[in-house]
This record gives sequence, C-alpha cells and structure tokens, in this order.
Amino acid sequence: MGGEPLEAAGLAVGVVDDHPVVVEGVRTWLERDARARVAHVADTVEGIPENLDVLILDLNLHGRLVLDEVADLASCAQRVITFSQFTEPEMVLAAIEAGACEFVAKNEGRAHLLEAVLSVADDRPYVTPTAAGVLACDRRPEAARLSERERTALLWWFQSMSKRSVARRMGVSVHTVEMYIKRARVKYAQAGRPAPTKADMLARAIEDGLITPEEVVGYRSAAAGR
Amino acid sequence: MAADDRARIVSARYSRAIGVTVAGVVATWHAGYDLIILARSWRVYDPKALVVAAWAALAAVQVAGAVLVLRSPIGTRTVWALAAAAQAASAMAIAAYPPGGVISDVSWASNTLGWTGVLLFLQRPLGGLVAFLAVNMGVMAARMAYDGTLDEVALARLVTVSYTTAGVQFLFAWLAQQLQRTARQVAAISGQRSESLARSAAQDAVHAERQRRYDYLRTRVAPLLHGLADRRLDPQDEAVRQRAAVEAARMRRLFAETDDAPHPLLHELRACADVAERRAVAVTLLGFGELPPLPREVRRDLAAGPMLALAAARTWARLTVVATAEYVVVSVLADATAVITAEAGGALPLSVVHDEEEQRLWVESRWKPPGSP
Repeated sequence: MGGEPLEAAGLAVGVVDDHPVVVEGVRTWLERDARARVAHVADTVEGIPENLDVLILDLNLHGRLVLDEVADLASCAQRVITFSQFTEPEMVLAAIEAGACEFVAKNEGRAHLLEAVLSVADDRPYVTPTAAGVLACDRRPEAARLSERERTALLWWFQSMSKRSVARRMGVSVHTVEMYIKRARVKYAQAGRPAPTKADMLARAIEDGLITPEEVVGYRSAAAGR
Repeated sequence: MAADDRARIVSARYSRAIGVTVAGVVATWHAGYDLIILARSWRVYDPKALVVAAWAALAAVQVAGAVLVLRSPIGTRTVWALAAAAQAASAMAIAAYPPGGVISDVSWASNTLGWTGVLLFLQRPLGGLVAFLAVNMGVMAARMAYDGTLDEVALARLVTVSYTTAGVQFLFAWLAQQLQRTARQVAAISGQRSESLARSAAQDAVHAERQRRYDYLRTRVAPLLHGLADRRLDPQDEAVRQRAAVEAARMRRLFAETDDAPHPLLHELRACADVAERRAVAVTLLGFGELPPLPREVRRDLAAGPMLALAAARTWARLTVVATAEYVVVSVLADATAVITAEAGGALPLSVVHDEEEQRLWVESRWKPPGSP
C-alpha cells in the first residue's frame, strides 16, 4: 500500500449534463486518454466539488439555459467548458463572455473536446471550428478588435477544420496559424465582465508570449475610464 | 388595388364634388335670394311667425342634409324624414302667402324646396326626387285651389313654372348621376387595363425564366442524357458520374432559384446538399452571420464552385456560409480527389486547396459587395 491512489492521476474533470448517454459518452471519450479522468458527474450545477480542474457543462439543463451559473462558476475560478448542441452565435458569445473557457459544440467530436480539456486545464485557449466561425463574423460594437489575419485564420479554421490547410492557404506555418487563433481568443478574455478564469487565461497568454502585458494594461485603463 | 376599389374611390370623389356644389347652390339660394324676397315682401305674409319658422326649419333641414350627404352615405329613413320636414316647412311658408301669391313675386319656398330635394336625393334613384318635386307642385296646386284661383290660366302657369324650376333641378340631378356613373366605368376600365398589363408582364417574366431553364437543360443536360442513351457515355466511368452529379446539383439549384424562400442563397445551397445526400454523402451545413439580400446572379456565382466540390464529395462534405458586412463566403470541404481549377467558379474566382495526403478538397468562393474595401 502507500503512495497516491491510482485514480488521482490525470486531470479531474466534472461532467454536468441532463442526458445520461452524453455523460457516459464523454466519460468514455476522456478515459481513453490517461491525462484525464472523470471525477464528478451530475445533472445539475449543485454541489460541484472544489478540486475539479475542468468542468464540462451542458448549456441547457432540464430545458433551462444555465448562462448565469457559468458566470457564477467562473467567478469562483472554476474552469468551464460549455458543451451544447445549440450553436447560435448569441449563445456561443454569451457563454464566452460569461467566463466559459471554451465552447464545444456537441457535434464536434472527441478530438476537439479532449483538446479543449487539456488546453483549458493549463489556462491556454483552444478554439473549436464552431466557436471560430462565430468569432470570425462577430461584428457587434462590443466585439474584440481582431486583426485581419486573426479573423482570416478563424474563418478558414471554421471552414476547413484543418490547421495545416489553413497554413498552406495563408502561406505561413501551422504554429503561426495557431498563434493567430489563440490571440483572437485571448482578446475575448479581455472583453465583458472580468472573471478569474479570464485573468488566468490572460496571465498564461503573457507567459507564453501570445500577448504583451502592455496590451492587457491598455485594456484595463480603458475599462476603468468607462 | 383591385379595379373595383379604384372605381369606388373615383366615384366617391365625384359624388363629393357634386354634393359640395349642390350644398353651395342651396345655401346661396336660401340665405341670399330667399331672404331678399322675404325682406321685400315682408308686410304681405300672414302670419309672419309662420314664415320665420318655415325659413328656419328649411335652413335646419338643409344644414343637416348637407352634413349627412357629405359625410357618409345617408340612410333611407333619414332621407325621407328630412324630406317630410322640408315639405312641411315649405307648406307652412306657402300657407302664409297672401291669396293668389303662389306664383308671384312673393313666393319663395318651392324653389328652395326643390334644391333641398336635389341635395337630399343626391345618391338615390331619381324616382325619389321626382316624387318629392311632384309633392311640391301638389302643395302649390292645393293652395291655389284653396284660394279659388286654380283656373286654366293658373294651371298653365303652374306647369310652366314647374318646367323652369323642377325641370332644371331634375336635369341637374340626372346629369350628376350620369357623370358619376361614367367616372366609375372609366376608372374600372383603366384599372382592369393596368391589371391585365401587370399580369402579362408577370407571364412574360415566367416565360423568360422557363426559357432560360430550358436552354440550360438543352445545352448542358440533353447531351449527357443522349450520350448515356446511345451508350457513348459509360455510367461506370467516374468522369461521367461526376458530370451527372454536377448537372443534377445545377438543375436542383436552378429550380430552387425561383422559389420564394426567406434566405434564397441558403435555400439553393440546401438544394445542392440534398442532391449530394441522395448519393449517401453526409453533408453538414453551417451558417453564421446575417445574409444581405443577394441578386440572383451573385447567388449563382457564389454557388457555382462549391457545387462542384459537393458533386465530387465521396462520403462527407462540410458546407459553410459566413456573412459579414465586408463579404459573403461559401465554402465546401469534402473528401474528394477531383481536380477543380480556380476558373471553374465563373465570375467569382475560387480559392482551392487540395490536400492529397488526406484526400480533402476545400473550395471557397467569396463575394464582396460593391464599394467595400
């Protein structure tokens, strides 16, 4: 005996969904990878344990949208991935603004969900093709200011679902394409209500050299002036 | 607007103009001419109070009649009630004439009464007015008989007076009705003419549209079908199947073009996706952004390239539509090996990325609204 129990290995992931088949499906998807394990399962947001690395949350529980709960969880520094069959732009943007670290559409498959869980646990952004499509054509006045290349990378990632194809078409490396997409997503972490999850993403983005501290400071002073 | 409605509006305008004219005649006559006679011959009437009451009662009937006639179609009962009141007032006035005064310088009521009748019966069959005028003459004759002055000469004078007053009034009423009827007919005819013109323009447009589709079928689809029929083309041949798939999608898009759909571009693309789905290709259609209204040619150009990729898809395709203020982009990603050139899109050059390793074809057509950067 002695040592850590075996199930302590890997990221602790919570799954909240009102459809048992989805919960089972997500569990199966994640546990095929040693880096993640399902540590909490529920059909409501009541009683979420504090030690979860990532919470995968269905946006629509028992016929009710839980955007307010996303904001509450984000304000308690809980990293949330919203997982939904609804892909209306308003819904995706509202989830991201409420402080969700990522939006994954239910039709996007295992690879995107797993990739999102692993990135989000490190406070790194991951943008699924669906979310990229929404961000690429977000032209609301309060939308984040994206550069032309960032917007193009998002649009083409949405269209082609292949960063290699996007890289070929843009004439840059795959790494650069990823940079564009991540930078675009990080800009959204500066918009809307501040939340610890957003602050963590910004801090990690500065560490990774995605953005410079000045870009964030510029945002804060602008927000204070409002 | 239907021809009937137009005719009704024109007719209503005419009847209002005639109503205003008659009301003007009545007012001038009663407040002007009648008052002059009354003032000039004041001392001969007896009793004088009856004359004042008769004048005031006629004035009241005229005001009420004018208001009702000009405001809305006046009810039958109201017309006859007002007519009876006017006749009574006129009879009162005639009763107050001196003996032998019915046809003389002192008589004033019967002419005014006649015009009041014209006003009241303006929108009714002429029979009513005739009866009204006849009663007027009857009352005059009765007063003459009462005076003992109704001899042959007096009767002849009464007939003459009737011609010159009631005759003129009747003629006016008759002309007004003729004018109104003619106006209604003219409006209805011109309405029918413009409607049939619009119908024939619509038929021409439909015909041109059919002609265009027929031309397309004749030049593009017929050779393919002929080739298959006389075995010059082999249905097993991948190139022939590809061509057939493309033409099928084009035809479906062409037929969807004239459908009345809220988002014609999405509707037409769905029609293309439907053709691919019939070949058991799993098509995902995703759209983001608000689509602006697009002319048919733009929709055709936007769909042309992506349609080729859809027709080439083997088992799956991802069709996306993104609209922003700066552009509308249609893209197809599919597992296809077909070679599509940038020129295949026609008016809008295509962006084509072919990933041979993963056997993925990615085609994008992009339209920018005129004047955008």
